[in-house]
Amino acid sequence: MSVLEVRNLSVHFGGVRALEHVSMEAGEWEIVGIIGPNGAGKTTLFNCITGFYRPSKGKIRYRGKSIARLPVHKRTALGIGRTFQNVGLVKNTTVAENLVTAQHLEINYDPWAGMLGGPATFAEESRLRERADQLLELLDLSDVADARVADLPYGVLKRVEIATVLATDPDLLLLDEPGSGMGPEEAHALGDTLLELRKEFGITIVMIDHHVPLVTQVSDYVYCLNFGEVLAEGRPEAVRSHPEVVRAYLGEEPEAEAETASVPDADAVSEEYV
Amino acid sequence: MTETLPETPEESTRELPPVEAEQVTEATRVTEAVDDTDDDAAPFRPGIGGWIARGLIWALLAWVVFALPGNILSPFELGVSDVGHASKAAIFAIIGLSLNVLIGYTGTISLGHQAFVGVGAFVSAYVVVDMGLEFWVAVPIAAAVGGLQAALLGAISLRLTGLYFALVTLAYGLFAEETLFGITAFTGGEGGKNVPRPLGFEDDYTFYYLCLAFLAAVLWVDWRLMRSKGGRALQALRENPRVASSYGINVKAYTLMAFVVSGIFASIGGALLAQQSTFLVPKTFSFQLALIFILMTVVGGLRNRVGVVIGSVVFALLEEGTLVHLLHLEGILDSTIGLPAEFFGLVIGPILLLLTITLYPGGIGQQIAPIAQWLRGRKFDIHAGKVTEVEVTDVRA
Amino acid sequence: MTTELGIAVVNGVFRGSVYALVALGIVLIYRASGVFNFAQAEFGTTGLFAAYIGIELWQWPYWLGLLFGLAAAVAMGLATERLVINPLRNSSRVTLLVGTAGVALAAIGIQFWQSNEQPIRSMPKLVEGVAFQPFGAAITYQHLITFVVLIVVALALAVFFRSPSGLAIQAAQQEGTAAELVGISVRRVSMMTWGIAALLGGLAGVLSGPNLTFTAGFLTFGAGAALLPGFMAAVLGGMKSMPGALFGGLLVGVIEQFGNLSILSDVSGGGAMMLFLFLLVVLLLRPQGLFVRKAVAA
Repeated sequence: MSVLEVRNLSVHFGGVRALEHVSMEAGEWEIVGIIGPNGAGKTTLFNCITGFYRPSKGKIRYRGKSIARLPVHKRTALGIGRTFQNVGLVKNTTVAENLVTAQHLEINYDPWAGMLGGPATFAEESRLRERADQLLELLDLSDVADARVADLPYGVLKRVEIATVLATDPDLLLLDEPGSGMGPEEAHALGDTLLELRKEFGITIVMIDHHVPLVTQVSDYVYCLNFGEVLAEGRPEAVRSHPEVVRAYLGEEPEAEAETASVPDADAVSEEYV
Repeated sequence: MTETLPETPEESTRELPPVEAEQVTEATRVTEAVDDTDDDAAPFRPGIGGWIARGLIWALLAWVVFALPGNILSPFELGVSDVGHASKAAIFAIIGLSLNVLIGYTGTISLGHQAFVGVGAFVSAYVVVDMGLEFWVAVPIAAAVGGLQAALLGAISLRLTGLYFALVTLAYGLFAEETLFGITAFTGGEGGKNVPRPLGFEDDYTFYYLCLAFLAAVLWVDWRLMRSKGGRALQALRENPRVASSYGINVKAYTLMAFVVSGIFASIGGALLAQQSTFLVPKTFSFQLALIFILMTVVGGLRNRVGVVIGSVVFALLEEGTLVHLLHLEGILDSTIGLPAEFFGLVIGPILLLLTITLYPGGIGQQIAPIAQWLRGRKFDIHAGKVTEVEVTDVRA
Repeated sequence: MTTELGIAVVNGVFRGSVYALVALGIVLIYRASGVFNFAQAEFGTTGLFAAYIGIELWQWPYWLGLLFGLAAAVAMGLATERLVINPLRNSSRVTLLVGTAGVALAAIGIQFWQSNEQPIRSMPKLVEGVAFQPFGAAITYQHLITFVVLIVVALALAVFFRSPSGLAIQAAQQEGTAAELVGISVRRVSMMTWGIAALLGGLAGVLSGPNLTFTAGFLTFGAGAALLPGFMAAVLGGMKSMPGALFGGLLVGVIEQFGNLSILSDVSGGGAMMLFLFLLVVLLLRPQGLFVRKAVAA
């Protein structure tokens, strides 16, 4: 049974068709990449899966259970965690505090008890902080634990965000452009981290990224969206050389420009962004 | 280019991904982000003189709060009315903290907070006077009713965003003032009500310490709230409701919780106010009072507990010109600009507010930050709590 | 019963004219600055106090006193824009709301202070006497004049917003940067809007003041409270429609009068209750407003 299954999903905003009959799935322990030009509907797809948008048509199932009607926080409780394109963190507080906040559902005391300051809540609080420190260490972020989020550079925040989502204890991780703002080396290291995380936590990952080398490096399967429809899908190498994909990215005839269209190897250090 | 793509994902021949070999990369990516010059230096420790200076200031503060109003260890002889003002200041601080929960923590503005306070006052007065029960029973009942009305108002109007919600609270405040508090059987109408104080706290000096105890309890709850599950949820949802909900926080439920907390605080303040003024009329809870509550909270500094308390105390004392009398300024003000002491608060208060939001968005809390830091044993840094650390766009609309 | 309803409707429409004047100002400012202007009603009270001082204390002719009142209102509007709104232009909208509430409270404080000797005042009417009595509701000439002024103002605004300056204002409100590029000064437009809005508030003040005796804060929370009804009228028009605000004002006036019907005579503050319930119903069922078409009319 697949972890995530999207069937015939359509989203219309007024007359604009953001998504049209999109189907995709992610199996247990897979890393699925989603690529496509800007405005192809990738983030819209994420917003439907996490519940920010209500699709006009179609089904979304998580481990066989239809989740299309659940509010966002209930989907998080089921085990769907996500990051945001423009860094979704509470900016006015520290990194560690964000990780503690993200463990919201793991906290086993009532908010009212916390307000009155019952003795058990203090012990629980230090447990949360320990867990936060563990996750930060795992992502090499221990040195920024007490830094204020708003003071940190973008690239670091993308990693903090991943640590924060892990704090929500997800089974399915939706990453929206985790590699944006990173150089090729950093992106490659991020790829290694993702593979590491999958092994460590046994999670399924769906990842949107423009950084084709990164997607190729880690993905088991890739979908390419364009104008709200699935243009191509398959193994990373196949999708990236698929003629329609090449045309969508370059807007040129695939035969004529086949050379330039080939995307550099994952291991190659290059400035190539699509 | 000859590879055919599978028609549907089911047909794809996907197998479990292979387990990667150990491939840990060096942890060199993050460190440039942190300025680690401070880490090496030993943290600042004040010398003996520094500790004595700090201790003296702490002692002075403690004396002003605990001893002065009770005429203990005091060269001054405070009269009954002065202590009455001190009680009022403590009650206003409770109300300011209540409003801070709404405006500061959730970013929703209440223009009808006088109704929240009034409900507490009239319910406790009703329980004490009409039902003949003890004050100690009346306070929990008032708190429960106050929490309930806040929950009701919140549940109905939570779908509305900032400005529209403000309008609803404005309408609710006027409705409460004119309609709810106009029910003679409940409030005693224009004739008002004389509310006796609880046994052992009849005189103004002991009553002050009762108010102080309630303020301490509210401060404790407020402090624990912001250091636990609920407060973190509020902080996240105020800044970014989408991120909060993706952390698994039920945004509506927690906003509602903040309403209830605010309603409970306000009712406790109201219940004490009913005892403090001893004579309770519906007219007390007018829209103007709601505006003053907002003023003192914003001038005090949203989300700054100490600032809100100081702001509330200042405005409580500005009302009726108490502060002017205490400082013996009435002659000067009247003779120079012809401003009688009783209008001092009305005229100066709003000007303070406008200066605060344009110059010091962090309010008094921001202005006293250097002193507060120093008192906690750090270096005196005039730039502590600078504007960048205080979110200017604090309230969402 | 019919008579009673008739009286409520007639009284409501004429009271509502004042609300509509306030609402038009609120809508203008909301469109220009995105602010809920809580000082709008206080522009009126300030104008009223100034007019009273001119006419009663300094014995000026009535028309000159009125002009003085309106000028005072406009001056207050411009000062608010310069001293509060402009410095806070990058703040959140609720901070701005608190700012305008501060302006209102400052004005009220000064009024209390200045009217200390004689807190309750009364201003003579423009024309004394009762014009006509439908259903037995006494409609004074003052009421009639207010209503006529409202219509004239609404027509004038409609014409103005189709003129070149009016179009410039709309352009600047919708797309500030682009308007700057084609040579429209957003700053001047903002000043102009606040000036016009304050003038409307001032009109509401000087025209409604003579109906009753007045005190400090007359139009905000006093006997002639028009702030909440004005906001409700603006909300009925979706905060952006001027015709919506006009009809909204009249409707809110009528709804409020329903609170004084004899079936509600046991309830004190019936008007406030009707307003609260009506606002809740409108906001929960039709948050976009009652009188709103797809394209918002000028």
